[in-house]
Amino acid sequence: MNRRDFLRGAAGAGLPAVCGRLAAQAAGPTLTRVEARYYVKLPDREIECRLCPRFCRLGDKERGYCGVRENQGGTYYSLVYGKACSLNVDPVEKKPFFHVLPGTTALSMATAGCNVNCKFCQNWEISQVRAEQVEHFDFPPEAAAAKAVSSGCPSIAYTYSEPTVFFEYMFDTAERARRRGVRSLVVTGGHINPEPLADLLAVVDAVKVDLKGFTEGFYKAYVRGELKPVLETIRTVARSKVWLEIVYLVIPTLNDRPEDIRAMARWAHDTAGADVPVHFSRFHPMYLMKNLPPTPLSTLEAARETALGQGLRFVYIGNVPGHEAESTYCPGCGQAVIRRVGYSIETVRLKKGKCASCGTAIPGIWA
Amino acid sequence: MDAPRVVIVRSPGVWTAAGSLEPAVLARMFVRGFTALTDERESARAAAALFRPGDRVGIKVNTIGGRAISTRPETAQALAAWLVGGGIEARNIVIWDRTTRELRDAGFAINTGGSGVRIFGTDADGAGYESDLTDHLDVGSLFSRILTELVSVSVSLAILKDHGLAGVTAGMKNYFGAIHNPNKYHDDRCDPFVAQVFDAPPVKARHRLTVIDALAVQFHRGPSYHARWAAKFGGLIFSLDPVAADRAGWTVLDRFRREAGLPSLEAEGRRPAYLATAEKMGLGRSEASVIETIEEAGP
Repeated sequence: MNRRDFLRGAAGAGLPAVCGRLAAQAAGPTLTRVEARYYVKLPDREIECRLCPRFCRLGDKERGYCGVRENQGGTYYSLVYGKACSLNVDPVEKKPFFHVLPGTTALSMATAGCNVNCKFCQNWEISQVRAEQVEHFDFPPEAAAAKAVSSGCPSIAYTYSEPTVFFEYMFDTAERARRRGVRSLVVTGGHINPEPLADLLAVVDAVKVDLKGFTEGFYKAYVRGELKPVLETIRTVARSKVWLEIVYLVIPTLNDRPEDIRAMARWAHDTAGADVPVHFSRFHPMYLMKNLPPTPLSTLEAARETALGQGLRFVYIGNVPGHEAESTYCPGCGQAVIRRVGYSIETVRLKKGKCASCGTAIPGIWA
Repeated sequence: MDAPRVVIVRSPGVWTAAGSLEPAVLARMFVRGFTALTDERESARAAAALFRPGDRVGIKVNTIGGRAISTRPETAQALAAWLVGGGIEARNIVIWDRTTRELRDAGFAINTGGSGVRIFGTDADGAGYESDLTDHLDVGSLFSRILTELVSVSVSLAILKDHGLAGVTAGMKNYFGAIHNPNKYHDDRCDPFVAQVFDAPPVKARHRLTVIDALAVQFHRGPSYHARWAAKFGGLIFSLDPVAADRAGWTVLDRFRREAGLPSLEAEGRRPAYLATAEKMGLGRSEASVIETIEEAGP
């Protein structure tokens, strides 16, 4: 029965018709059933997922917090392997990665699902729904790798929702992409356990972690997650050969206390080094947090000054197109080595990863 | 506040020797339950006390457990038949749950047509979820349009099960099946989420009564089905107080647990915390001592 027939039947049945806007409607019986990695089987057809710090323990027919992994008869499955729900060619600066192949595009993809529930989520229509509630399409790993090449994208970004929840799909895509010379960039909230993270770091090139606050209280109240495992993820990435950037969305009155910003910046410096890029992004009212105003520019600028004062050398302001703190400045001579306006690159004054003016090495992936 | 009434109707004869349900006995159980609940002698007067002829009644069932441990189709059909007998037109009754597939897997005969009691899931063509979020306390969800647009009155016809996190899943948690993101509300033993989903306007404005299908229950290791911890209780639990109804369900589960040599939910550290939260929110009463429980046993 199609929708028109249904509505005709509803009208005939005396029930009011329901038509018009539909959200999170089922997309059809096209989900996959690929056995998940990182779980253990327990007695009585139960399983424990060990992909992320939630350690969901699930009985038969139950689904994890992420909404895209399900226990079916004692075997745990990913329902979204090869089932992308978002696909775009984006500037890599949009992720944002500011020290990775500037001026290039990243094939950006996502499936449904997320392992936290941020009240300020920008993509909740795909991240906070179950797998079958969003339109998706077949896009297996090999096709993704090929599409990146044919689209002229030197990288694939796993982004929009939380790629940890489609780990198997991301991992296999990254492997295939690497064989074709395409890099993989992960945009994550950082809620992932050490073992899968270690495996992931072997096949990807850069990770951007959204550090959403710097207190456990904030994470519990507004993220529905924990801070500690996120910090562990940042620490692990920083110790690896994979490039790391950190984004801190500054939300008025909730995570913008100067002492928290200072503590975060100090921690980032001590943990990831002075060269880790830190982006302070402007909050916009969204999802379940529409009662707060956008972040004042003065707050962002103060946060940046605080972070610079803690010794971080590459501190940016995001979501404020045209602001001078979108650009990269050489810590040696102070000259702009990459000048940005929004997601556009105006000038790049780098030579083999060094400042064209003074020769200071600028860390990142430049070619 | 008056003591809330809970009516527990038990009929061991509702189960045949072959393990199927006896429709005539089931029908009588509904009559007994509703008349006792309303203090009316006649079924029609009980129906009139609870419903108006123009009501569009949604019967929210819980079918996530498949055929083994879900609200039974026979129970839902018996309730629908009782409603029809009480003056509700069949075409104004919808038996529904989250997905049509789960309903079918639990044994329901799907009917999306124009006549008779209709049976389908929120994922049916033309149904779906609301496009605007309901933002209520700690809950931010899209509610099923079956609940918000098709029906004017809701009956929670839940299955009674142990729940590893919530302690109990019964009439209140049944409404997790009315939202698009129930997986987001299992932290902290599902508390305060069970109470808050129920308190959200789409549910609270329509919920009329709770009937718990306790013909067979899962008293341990739920909500999934485990044969060795499932038991035939042969009962239905009725209440206008959603909190009291679930409290009665908890008592039933603990009774089976005790008989099986298992610790109580409380002793196991799985006291259904959502009940106390619901009481604090004014949704009903959770203390067994203040609940008027009427137990009816029959053939």
